Amino acid sequence: VRDLCAAAVAAATAAGAEYADARVVFKREQLVATKNGRVDRMTDAESEGIGVRVLVNGAWGFACDRRLTEEGARNAATRACTFARAAGGRHMRSLAPVEAHQGRHESAVERDPFAISLADKVDLCLRTDAALEHEDVVVRQVMVRARREHKLLLSSEGTEVEQTLTECGAGMDCAASRDGVFQLRSYPSAHIGSSQQSGWEYVDGLRLVDEAPRVAEQAAALVRADPCPSGITDVVLDADQVALQVHESVGHPTELDRVYGTEASYAGTSFLRPHDLGSLRYGSKHMNITADPTTVGGLGSFAFDDEGVPATRTPVVEEGCLTGFLTSRETAARIGAGDGGSMRADGWNRMPLVRMTNLHIEPGEGTLDDLIGGVDDGVYMETNRSWSIDDKRLNFQFGTQIAWEIKDGKRGRMLRDATYTGITPEFWGSLDAVAGRDAWQLYGLTNCGKGQPGQSAHVSHGAAPARFRRVQVGVKS
Amino acid sequence: VNALEVARAALAAAGGEAEAVGHSERSGLARFAGSEVHQPTLIENVVVTLRVVQGNRVGVATTNKVDEEGLAELAQRAKDAAESAPPDESFPGLAPPARPSSVEGFDDATAALGPDDQARLADTAIGAADEIPVYGFFTSAVSELAIASSTGLSVEQRMTDASALVVAAAEGCSGYAEQTSWRASEIDPAAVTREASDKAARTRGAGTLEPGTYRVVLEPYAFADLLDYFSHDSLGALGLLEKRGYLSGRIGERIADEKISIRDDPLDPHGLPKAFDFEGTPKQPVVLVENGVARGVVWDRTTAARSHNGASTTGHAGPVESRDWGPLPYSLVVEPGDAASVDDLAELVGDGIYITRLHYLGVIDPREGIVTGMTRDGTFRIRDGKIAEPLINLRFTVAVPDLLREVYGLTRTASLVNSQNFYGDRYPYGVRAPAIAAARFAITGVGSSPGI
Repeated sequence: VRDLCAAAVAAATAAGAEYADARVVFKREQLVATKNGRVDRMTDAESEGIGVRVLVNGAWGFACDRRLTEEGARNAATRACTFARAAGGRHMRSLAPVEAHQGRHESAVERDPFAISLADKVDLCLRTDAALEHEDVVVRQVMVRARREHKLLLSSEGTEVEQTLTECGAGMDCAASRDGVFQLRSYPSAHIGSSQQSGWEYVDGLRLVDEAPRVAEQAAALVRADPCPSGITDVVLDADQVALQVHESVGHPTELDRVYGTEASYAGTSFLRPHDLGSLRYGSKHMNITADPTTVGGLGSFAFDDEGVPATRTPVVEEGCLTGFLTSRETAARIGAGDGGSMRADGWNRMPLVRMTNLHIEPGEGTLDDLIGGVDDGVYMETNRSWSIDDKRLNFQFGTQIAWEIKDGKRGRMLRDATYTGITPEFWGSLDAVAGRDAWQLYGLTNCGKGQPGQSAHVSHGAAPARFRRVQVGVKS
Repeated sequence: VNALEVARAALAAAGGEAEAVGHSERSGLARFAGSEVHQPTLIENVVVTLRVVQGNRVGVATTNKVDEEGLAELAQRAKDAAESAPPDESFPGLAPPARPSSVEGFDDATAALGPDDQARLADTAIGAADEIPVYGFFTSAVSELAIASSTGLSVEQRMTDASALVVAAAEGCSGYAEQTSWRASEIDPAAVTREASDKAARTRGAGTLEPGTYRVVLEPYAFADLLDYFSHDSLGALGLLEKRGYLSGRIGERIADEKISIRDDPLDPHGLPKAFDFEGTPKQPVVLVENGVARGVVWDRTTAARSHNGASTTGHAGPVESRDWGPLPYSLVVEPGDAASVDDLAELVGDGIYITRLHYLGVIDPREGIVTGMTRDGTFRIRDGKIAEPLINLRFTVAVPDLLREVYGLTRTASLVNSQNFYGDRYPYGVRAPAIAAARFAITGVGSSPGI
C-alpha cells in the first residue's frame, strides 16, 4: 500500500504537481439495529480505495480510484492534475509550512468491537428492546455499531503516517403515542446514540438494558405532559444539549474555511471574521472552549490529521474571548497563524475539509442540582430533539426531548415540546455557570455534514450541564 | 465496470437465495468559492450490496472490492450475518422477476462529460458573475443501478444527472439559483449565475421584520425543500405505520387547499426518472394528495407486508443507508397552477413576504408536520402586490399542512429542484415544484443580514 501511495505521488509530481498527497483508506462498518422486537438492519460494509490531492500551478485537484493497483493509483494522480489544470483560478494557493512527520497510531482498544459476534450484538439489542416494552410505546429502536478505519497518508513533502482508528457505539430510541401526541425519548443521546473511539467496553459501560425501563417510562410520561410554555426565562441544559449547542454555535462558526466563505454554497459561512481572533467577545467569562484531537475516546481523535499535521490541543474560546480557529494548512497560511491540524476526509473518495476534531466546553464547578438550585423560575431541558441554525451560525432554534419546570430551585412538572432560540454571542453571553468535572461527559456524533459532494464527519464533544439566563423559550407569540 | 455484471457476480458468489444490488458512479464536481474553483472532486466507484436469505433469516453485507476474492469475502460476511439473525416472520421475501417501464433519464452527451468539460461549465458560471462573487458548483455524473436476485430478477438502469448551483454573495447581499436535469444541455450555468446575481443585487440594505404570521410566496427552491423534509415522516409508509407522520389516520381527509395535488412520479421525463427501486420492484406513480385530500403514501415490500391491510409495494424502497426512513418519495411532483409568474403570485398575496430559499431545516413535530428553518439568499417584503424591499434572514416555524390549507395560487411552470447533496453513493433525485402563494407562514425570529 505504501508503494501505491508513492506511485501516486510520483505520478502527480511527474504530471506537474508542486504538491501531492495520497491516502489509502480501508474502512469497515458494522451496524445492527432492531425495531419492535425484530432485526431491522444488519449491515457489514467495507470500502477501500486511494484518493490523490494535488496542487498544480496553485490550484487544487482531487481524484480517486477504488482499485488498489499501481494503475489505479497513477490514474487517480493524473486525473487529479488534469482537473486542477482545467479548473485553475487566479490565486496561488499555498500551505503553511509543516515539518514532514512519519508515524503510526492506533486507537486504544480493550475488546475489539469486530471480535464481538453479530449474534451477541443482536442479543444485546433484543434484550434492550424487551426492556423498552410499555403499553404506550409504539416504536422501540436499539442500535449498536462499530467502525474501523485504517489509513496511510503519504505526501510529496515526505509525510508518511499510518493510523488505525476504531470506534463503536450504541443507542436506543423509544416513541410513545397517545391521543394524537407523539413523543420520543433516547439514550444515551439522540440521533443514533453515542459513540467513542474505543473497544466494546464503551458499549458495555452504557448499560443499555438497565437504562431501557427509565427511557420507556419517560416516553410514556411525555405523551401526558403539558407543552412547555413560551416566554423569556432561565434555562438549564443537560450535557447532551450543551454538546450540540457547542457543535452548532461554536464548532462550525470557528471553522476557518467557513469564515473565508468556501462553504458558502452549502453549509454556510460564519458571523466571525479573521480579525476577530483575540478580540471578539463570544460569551461570558464562564465560556471556555477547547479543540482537542488528543482526547482519549474522542471520535475526532488522531495522531495526525489528513494533511499529516500532528494533533494539538488548542484553545478556541478563553473566558469568553475568541482565541482560536479550526484550520487547514491553506487557511492557516492565509490568516498567518497556526499550521492547520483540523483536516479530515470522509473516506478515500472525498477531499479533506476543515472539520471539528473534538470540541469541548471546559467544566466549571458544582453539580446539575446546584445549577437548578440557582433558578427561581425556569426550565431544565434534556436530550436534543430538533436543531436548526442559520447560515452564519447566529440565529438558532433547538428543541429537546424532555424538560421540567424549575420553581424555587427545584425540578417540578415534566414538560414536552420544549424549544429555545437565541443569537449565538448573546446566548453564550448569558451563560452564568457550567457544572464541574464530575458532570462532564464525552458525546460522540456521527452525522456532521459538510461539503459538496457531501461528507459526514464523526466528532466528539465533552460537555457538562450549563445554565443560561433570560432565554427565549418556545416561539415568540 | 458494469453494475449488472457486478451484481450477477456477487449473486453467483452467494450461491443460494440472495439479492445483489450493484451501484456505480462516475462523477465530477467543480466547486467554486469567491469566483474560483477550490474543491474539484472526481469520483469513480462501484458498490455491491448482497442480501443473503436463509429461510427467514436475512443478512446484508456491502463492498467495493469486486474482484473474485472480494466478492467471496462479501458472500461470507452476508452469510455470517444471516446466520446470526433471528428468524423474521414478517420478511416478505425477495422481489419476483419484473419488467420495469422504460424510462428516460440517460443522456449520452452528459455521460461523456469529463473533467475538462465540468471545469469549463463551472467556469461559465463564474464568468457570468458581475461584481458580486459567486459560490457554488457544476457537477455531472453517470450512475448505474442494477439488481439481480435468485428469484430470476435482473434489472438495470443507467442514469445521468447534472446540476449548476450558484450563490452570488458579498457583504450584505446574496442570491441563489440552481438548475438540475438529466441532460446537461438543459443546464445553462451562465443563466444560473445571472439569476443568482440579479437576486443578490436586490437584497442590499435588508431590513428587519416583526415576528408574526404573514402571507407568503415561496419560490420552487423553498417550497421543494419544505416538502422534501415533510415527506420523510409524512409521505412514506413507515411514518404512517408508526403513527409518526401527518397522514397517519388522515387518509381520505381534506388536509390542504383543493389547489394542492402532490404525487410521486418516478416515470416523469421532466424529473430524474427511475424505473425500479432498490428491491428491483418497478416504480409506480403514487397520488399522495389530490385536490387537497390525502390519498396515500409510498410503500416498499417490507412496510406493505407489515401493514396487514392489503397494501402492496409501490416500488419505493430506498438505498440501504436511507432504510431507517422506510420507503420515500424520491420523485415528488406538485401540480402547477395557473399563475404566469411569481409577480402574479405577489399580486395575489398583496401584503406579505417573498422567500427564495430555506436553510438548515429541522422537524420539530413530525406528527403535526412542524418544520423550522431560516430563509436565505433572497427574502423580500411584498407590499401592494409587488415584491418590495429586501429583508434579513428570518426564522420560520411552520406546520406544512397549515401552509397548504389556504393557497392563493401556484405558478403554471414547475422547476426541478435537486434534493441530493451527494452524500454517499450518487443517486440523483429531486422535487418538481411550482412557486406557491399561501395565507399563513409563521415568522418566529430574525437572523443575520444576507450575504457572506
